[in-house]
Amino acid sequence: MRRNRTIPLAATAAAALIALTACGGGAAEPAADVTAEPVYEGKLSLLTKFAGEPLETYFDDLATAYEAEHPEVEIELIQETDQSIKDKTKTLTASGALPDVYFTWAGDWAENFVGGGLAADLTDLIAPGTEWGDRFGKASLSAFEYDGKFYGVPLYNNGKFMGYSKAAFAEAGVEVPTNFDELIDSCGPLREAGYEPIAFGNKDGWPALHYLQQLFAYNVPSDVLHADFDPETAEWTDPGYVRSLEQFKTLVNECTDSGSGTNGVLYTTAQEALAGGRAAMYYQEVLEFDTVTVEDAKLSTEDFGIFPLPAPADAAGDPNAVEGSPEGYLINAKSPQAALAADFMKFVTEPENAKTLSSSPYGQPSTVIGAVTEETSSKAVFEGITQVNEASQLVVWLDTITVPEVADAWLAGGEAIISGSSTPEEVLESVRAANADAK
Amino acid sequence: MLLAVFVYLPLAQNLAFSTQEWDIYSGTSEFVGLENYEKLLGDAVFWSALANNGLYALLSIAFQVAGALVLAAMIESLRSMRWRKALRAIYFVPSAISLTVAGLLFYFIYEPNLGMLNHLLEAVGLGALTQPWLGQESTAMVGIIAMSQWQGFGYSTLLFAVAIQRIPSELYEAAAIDGIGPVRRFLHVTVPLVREMTGLMVIVTISGAFQVFNEVMVMTSGGPNNSTQVLATWLYRSGFVRNDFGYAAAIATVIFVVTLIVALGQLWYTKRRRVDF
Repeated sequence: MRRNRTIPLAATAAAALIALTACGGGAAEPAADVTAEPVYEGKLSLLTKFAGEPLETYFDDLATAYEAEHPEVEIELIQETDQSIKDKTKTLTASGALPDVYFTWAGDWAENFVGGGLAADLTDLIAPGTEWGDRFGKASLSAFEYDGKFYGVPLYNNGKFMGYSKAAFAEAGVEVPTNFDELIDSCGPLREAGYEPIAFGNKDGWPALHYLQQLFAYNVPSDVLHADFDPETAEWTDPGYVRSLEQFKTLVNECTDSGSGTNGVLYTTAQEALAGGRAAMYYQEVLEFDTVTVEDAKLSTEDFGIFPLPAPADAAGDPNAVEGSPEGYLINAKSPQAALAADFMKFVTEPENAKTLSSSPYGQPSTVIGAVTEETSSKAVFEGITQVNEASQLVVWLDTITVPEVADAWLAGGEAIISGSSTPEEVLESVRAANADAK
Repeated sequence: MLLAVFVYLPLAQNLAFSTQEWDIYSGTSEFVGLENYEKLLGDAVFWSALANNGLYALLSIAFQVAGALVLAAMIESLRSMRWRKALRAIYFVPSAISLTVAGLLFYFIYEPNLGMLNHLLEAVGLGALTQPWLGQESTAMVGIIAMSQWQGFGYSTLLFAVAIQRIPSELYEAAAIDGIGPVRRFLHVTVPLVREMTGLMVIVTISGAFQVFNEVMVMTSGGPNNSTQVLATWLYRSGFVRNDFGYAAAIATVIFVVTLIVALGQLWYTKRRRVDF
């Protein structure tokens, strides 16, 4: 038997990583002065989440344009995908090699960097009321606000909606559902019309959490839900959780073709099922709207519609909450180029560049006020962002707002609910145990 | 010197780190003694991962040692040199594919809706046997191991074929003159005379089974519900997902101890069981 020796010895890898931690982390270094006058020379490194087509060229083009304006500056781009950036960021963090600017999600993910002194305080530059801050909606800035200070540069907004094929709905004779039971009831006619009612792939675990977090927002009173995100105050005992898990299981069983085998299906396979006209619905982020209606897709922009995951009729939580949050960038607090980094991010969020980001082929709805319009964005993206802006609250993704141990318990729990190997009560028990460990 | 810096020093550091709790964000650490090892004892996923490594080793020995030996003997008993060469090449081809590529390939073969395996079963009237192979706890681990056997089987066969070729043909001719059939020739000539290679293969197989990582990450990432976690993927998840790098270092120590024991066994075995013709 031949075995690849590049990964193991795992001991060596882990030791090397942690050894690097010892070398790089925690060193007392002067805090970055982001308010200083930028010196336009030297190399600026940037870790993005825009690897692959069609997003990759966005920062490429911006870097080229910025370098043209400032010939002594060189922008080094490290572009990663949604999946790979998690490992990359942690490896760079552990080795004390974080770039000058790096991508972040909101919630616990960003808070770790803020708490560790790795994110520069941008309050003087970007707080509401400042010249730069006034480019953004307050909610976008608040997503990266900790203890009254502002740390993040929000780049685009995001939210989760059910995308659907209007033609499939018309063919099956079903209307857009207004509550969760109607959604489940629509699956039968859609299946009879020859469609997979809801395409769903959960190989990576997190897609299930997107359903769950939206259902939690509907079924669990908001104050309880937000208290449960913090391990110190969390109880995870509200009956709304069990109800949400049961509703999720019903949806998987009644509305997907893969049912209890959904854990073996890729998220992108499900996306292609809607784009290819095989499925009637697919639960997706605003960022994906333009992907399911790309040129070679069977689903046209006119035929594509969206609606929020319908709330259960008598839900005890907030029926107008939308799951989602802005995503953005932090500036390395230890970067000697912090002022230049802030200047580059101002350039990135200039209104013209924000409009480009919101337009095809990127379709990333910028957080800059006025960048997302019916002219710059697709109809669906505009509609989605309008609903995000009108939501009573944005509930951040379950796997980035909770601490890693709890998030991991939810990841395993979501898979167990799908496969039927655990009951909702058993999943909650594992989450409570993880929470106890995390305290 | 290089060996000390790049192998022994990290190993020693890993042992030290396994006694600490690390925060990669603040760079701070706290000495926790053997707490991470105590945590291992009560961690159900760790034990399930260890069992998966064990299952991996057992099935690999069955297929990649016993099965490969039988196949190599069959190939080498063919009269036609052309066929022998062709079959060796055919069986070896999967080994030339990287584990990552093979894992992706099999992921799509196992895909519940679009995958070839389920379609094949339906085509031959065995639709009742279709499964979401990697999507359920009961079949996911076996699915990954099956891919690994497919990928590594040819390589083992080739090694055994080389070992069989080293056996003097006079021994087979003498056995044939004595009227001994092919099965007994295999059991009484081939098996004893390739025992050095067999022992080596067993040890390498066990050692490899406790270092499995790529195929699991590509095919299931340890899911669903942690059912396909092996030690290396649980180490990775503990460190990179759960931010518990001290605990990850403790798992790494376990992997190191297991592979060290196997490696020592290998040294001992190769010294004692040398076959001379």
